[in-house]
Amino acid sequence: MISLQHVNARAGKFALADISFDIPQGEYGVVIGPAGAGKTTLLETIAGVVRTLSGRIMLGGDDLTSAPPEARRLGIVYQHAFLFPHLSVRENVEYGAASKHAADDVASRFGVDALANRSVESLSGGERQLVAIARALARRPEVLLLDEPFSALDPRTRNIARRVLRTLYYERRFTVLQVTHDFGEAGLLGDVAIVLDKGRIVQKGDPEQIFRKPASPYIADFLGAENVFAGIARPIRAEAPDWVAGNEHEFVRHAVAFTTGSLTFYALGDVVPGPAHAVIRAEEVSLSVEPSMSSVQNQFRGKILEIVPAGALSRVTVDASGTPIVAAVTARSVRELALSVGSEVVAGFKATAVHLC
Amino acid sequence: MSRAVASVIVAIVSSLFLLFFLAPVAGLVSSGGARGLASLSSDRELRESLALTASTATMATLLGILGGTPIAYFLARRAFPGRAVVAALMDLPLAIPHSVAGIALLLVLGRGSALGSVMYRVGLRVAGSATGIVCAMLFVSAPLYVSAAREAFVRVDARFESVARTLGDDAWRAFRRITLPLAARGLTAAAVVMWARAVSEFGAVVILTYNPKVASVLSYDRFTSYGLSETLPVAAVLVLFAFIPLIALRALRAGGYRDAP
Repeated sequence: MISLQHVNARAGKFALADISFDIPQGEYGVVIGPAGAGKTTLLETIAGVVRTLSGRIMLGGDDLTSAPPEARRLGIVYQHAFLFPHLSVRENVEYGAASKHAADDVASRFGVDALANRSVESLSGGERQLVAIARALARRPEVLLLDEPFSALDPRTRNIARRVLRTLYYERRFTVLQVTHDFGEAGLLGDVAIVLDKGRIVQKGDPEQIFRKPASPYIADFLGAENVFAGIARPIRAEAPDWVAGNEHEFVRHAVAFTTGSLTFYALGDVVPGPAHAVIRAEEVSLSVEPSMSSVQNQFRGKILEIVPAGALSRVTVDASGTPIVAAVTARSVRELALSVGSEVVAGFKATAVHLC
Repeated sequence: MSRAVASVIVAIVSSLFLLFFLAPVAGLVSSGGARGLASLSSDRELRESLALTASTATMATLLGILGGTPIAYFLARRAFPGRAVVAALMDLPLAIPHSVAGIALLLVLGRGSALGSVMYRVGLRVAGSATGIVCAMLFVSAPLYVSAAREAFVRVDARFESVARTLGDDAWRAFRRITLPLAARGLTAAAVVMWARAVSEFGAVVILTYNPKVASVLSYDRFTSYGLSETLPVAAVLVLFAFIPLIALRALRAGGYRDAP
């Protein structure tokens, strides 16, 4: 397990402030945040490479706040492999390995056993990274710290590396804390997500929850939410009975009208009346040619401003009374609805799809 | 001005600049090189002087490595209060005239000083001895080693050490197994530069120890006693002597690990 309690640390001019979180034994934590948020410094503080000024760092149940890195029973893999260039691939993997067998085992799993006698300088970027991961795992660490280890890999190698790491993780159940820019990866891998910004934790919890309910418009924006609106929230408990779709009890307690520009839509939430932000993921917005008779209460007619194909989905921006609403729809829907720039559509989303922050 | 004219001007200025350095050395070697090499077998004083120069410069360099390496490492790796002052202190001997450095050393290590008299009483004579030569060489050339060694350590990313530490090495073991091998070429180059500078030192040495004579003092002595003609063979041999480490230095700099981690 990894447990940080009110940790403060400093690396040069950069400071981590009051960092507290727990990653239970055998779980997979992810740290996300913009460049310069302190993600690498956080890992290095846990590793003992950056000194902790105050607070406690518990690893595997032991207080290792002041322990040197070599006593922390962990491994770290940086974004750049940092393979020792004066040693061969084999010597790198065996460096600090629990045993020769352990080194051979991980080397073969990551497919770097064939490179054993090669010099590090002759390896490609992807091969280097695989060797670096194998080297860290050969030590059989209880905690594995990964600093964007897959970012330099091509998609095929990345998938292999992820799969092998995942297999080893399930076999050994070590605790992982991985830094990533990619929230998709965080959602895919993580049991616990920590959002870091300017050296502070701004949100932590279940990745799915953070994805659906970001704590601030900044986080929503960072996590790639396309529809983040500033506006005025107004609880409408008294007016609730005329709008009862789904859970009436819940609705009566939390119904909110949110006004942004000339648009007013319904949401659910506990908000103080006044300025707020509404976040709606593009995947939650549906498009239709005519208003539908359904539980979707928020429906706005508008003109399509832009269609951006992005893989299997297309991002369609609809101008709804001056407010741009982005919907993510399949290419097939674009075809079947004959969507084109300038055509009129109805953008709809449920009140439950609106997150207020 | 057209690009072609600018290129011609740059070429002429560069050639003149190179000629400025090449001409005196070439003149010296062509005038006295053959005689100097021939006199190596017959001129015992020259042979002894060269041997003394090489041995004292080597000793000074070894002491420089011993004392300068930890300082260079800490200056490169650790942020500590007064780091800038320590760095400036290490560079100071480069900025003061070397004759002044010799006077300063004489003040501290001469027989008239407290330390010098104690050392003299225990049989360690500094002024007027090979020890004095080593001290003078060390004082003026060690800053070059520290500065270059510091750069050599800076070029080795500290994260190599961090990784080694998480792989079970304590600080000393990570330094020995990772940092030192990765900085080895830079450190060796730094030592060669220091050695070359020590060999050519005159100002501080001549004040602290005129006799026994190192090569630079011998060439000065021959010049003042016998004139230019008698000095040329000694001076030419000294130039050739200094050329050896500089060739080694170029060879060292041609190699090295790639910077990419």
